[in-house]
Amino acid sequence: MAKDDGPESAGGSRRPSSVARTAAVLIAAWLLPGLGHVLLGRVRRGVLFAVIVIGSFALGMAHDGRLALRDRQAFLTSLQVVANAGVGPADLAARIAVYGEAAYAVPEEGDAGGFEPRVVRIMRERSRSALSAYGTAYLWTAGLMNLLLLFDAWDIARGRRD
Amino acid sequence: MRSHFLHLLLYSTLVSAFFLLLSRRGSKERVRFGLILWSAMVFGALAVAFLMLPFPR
Repeated sequence: MAKDDGPESAGGSRRPSSVARTAAVLIAAWLLPGLGHVLLGRVRRGVLFAVIVIGSFALGMAHDGRLALRDRQAFLTSLQVVANAGVGPADLAARIAVYGEAAYAVPEEGDAGGFEPRVVRIMRERSRSALSAYGTAYLWTAGLMNLLLLFDAWDIARGRRD
Repeated sequence: MRSHFLHLLLYSTLVSAFFLLLSRRGSKERVRFGLILWSAMVFGALAVAFLMLPFPR
């Protein structure tokens, strides 16, 4: 079984990793929560992070969490999309499952021929659920936690943290 | 799960466990940090809820 959390663990020496390896670790960490830590030799911690982040994301989806759409007239919606997308490709898969397409923004006015755009209608219907507020909190938390994990993996890869 | 309180407990547990793991302190300090964080979230939310009691919507 792989050692974990020690400064001398596999791939986890305090020597900084190369830029290419650091980039590969960060991409892997974004693609699958916790994978960056696993690649850096922090296997146990990476698995636990994966359970927490994926669990939070699953709870969010199970509770009809809102997959935010960027609206040009509301700046905060951009931050909501970033929080959602932080969890990686799971967010894209969820959008395709919910909206039927990779929707990240409210369609421009006129695209829907004067009607409320379909993706906005779907989002509103999900938001009507009594549990949607919880679901949204879980989704945003999953994304933001994974973004924090990227910074942590970056620090470990550069030898700034154990 | 429709209980607000259970969601509060679950959410606090998830977030506390995450930051506990992220922390680089010693084992005992880590657990203490996690418990403090969990308590702050749960009892803080209950305190705010209590303060909002006179203002029903």
